[in-house]
Amino acid sequence: MSIDWLAFVLVAGATLAAAMVLVGTYGLGVRLLAVAADSAGARQRMVRASAFACFGVCAAAVLYGIYLIVPAFHS
Amino acid sequence: MVVLVIVLALFFDFTNGFHDTANAMATPIATGAIKAKTAVALAAVLNLVGAFLSTEVAKTISGGIIREGGGGLAISPEMIFAGLMGAVVWNMLTWLLGLPSSSSHALFGGLIGAAIVGAGFGVINYDVVVSKVLLPAVLAPLIAGTVAFLSTRLAYRITTRKGAVANPKRGGFRYGQIFSSSLVALAHGTNDAQKTMGVITLVLVAAGTQPAGSGPLPWVIAACGLAIAIGTYTGGWRIIRTLGSGLTEVKPAQGFAAESSTASAILASSHLGFALSTTQVASGSVIGSGLGRKGAQVRWSTARRIAVGWVLTLPAAAVVGALAAAVAHLGPAGVIIDAVVGTLVIALMFLVSQRNRVSHDNAISGLDHAGEVVEIKRRKKKRKSEAQPEEKMAEQLMEAGE
Repeated sequence: MSIDWLAFVLVAGATLAAAMVLVGTYGLGVRLLAVAADSAGARQRMVRASAFACFGVCAAAVLYGIYLIVPAFHS
Repeated sequence: MVVLVIVLALFFDFTNGFHDTANAMATPIATGAIKAKTAVALAAVLNLVGAFLSTEVAKTISGGIIREGGGGLAISPEMIFAGLMGAVVWNMLTWLLGLPSSSSHALFGGLIGAAIVGAGFGVINYDVVVSKVLLPAVLAPLIAGTVAFLSTRLAYRITTRKGAVANPKRGGFRYGQIFSSSLVALAHGTNDAQKTMGVITLVLVAAGTQPAGSGPLPWVIAACGLAIAIGTYTGGWRIIRTLGSGLTEVKPAQGFAAESSTASAILASSHLGFALSTTQVASGSVIGSGLGRKGAQVRWSTARRIAVGWVLTLPAAAVVGALAAAVAHLGPAGVIIDAVVGTLVIALMFLVSQRNRVSHDNAISGLDHAGEVVEIKRRKKKRKSEAQPEEKMAEQLMEAGE
């Protein structure tokens, strides 16, 4: 019986990394939005912009996930 | 015969769809991120899209569990029919009990049972059963649960702000949930619809209507996509209730963490070659996220019921598959008996389910929507007149928990 433990470790690691990236960036975005709501002026704009940058990174990660599940993109 | 198998395969696809709506949509429905009906519609569309996106067809029906072809067992339409019957009956039963169970394990189980009746115990590759079914079944919830636990912790760590005045505004995670759950639904469509496509294609090849080694015909892709989408839209509300509120109470940040873990695990496993069941990953994620949020409780009794369901899935579907195969070996009359008995059993389970209806309006009560209080009151009044004792008890439990 051959159990592919390497594949298992790889899957576990990739899952952890991907979930951490998604939750980390989105969570940071949520936090920055909350901070922005409590601040004012130029600082507010800057914090808000960085919040949306975080959401952007998160969206990019999701798009990469979609790229992965569609075989037509990497024949 | 071929037509009968195709009809049953499409019905299996349908049960697969409504069984697995919960994997993607239970948590966003539970947190109120998406309205129940919108959620299942979204999942249905994404499943349909997913079915068309990916049409890689498996070369063997059972993925190597049964020794097919040269030196092994010649797969006959009767055998596939019996296997599908086992899978469908078990799927219906677990749905009735509100248990999330793996549709692919049910299919494997049914086929194993049918194959054993057809050719004895020797045709099963037992080490493949262990490495492809048993081991992943243990590891999938473990990986997903651990990752969901850690990412829930991370989500709360990041968003916790110092000071009593500062509002963490974690409701923002609701918008994220829409995307994370959509990704799960899409991944499900690309994975599960092609399972049925593979079965139908192999039947057509066996019947000689299609050259060996060719891909699924366009109408097969469309039919499978539609079957799974309709199934998804019908919504396995009982399972949604179990995953969305039966295991633990889900908050937006926690739901987002759970869905992200589910999506990551499915994508990672299907691309790095260690196949994990979507259902088991999703259930593990929900439990993990419940452990990760302070103040959340995991109802281990529900988790235990689900685990028992997983253990039983393969053998139970195998027993039904074996019975169906034994009858089908009698010839055409046997197949007809199978079809009639199967239809009766399914109809019976449907009738039983009607006695205690679970649908989009009562699958998950007590959403954290202040605006819905009025509506909830109205619903309760209506329900009291017709409620079953069990439902009343669940309601009281839910209220006590609030």
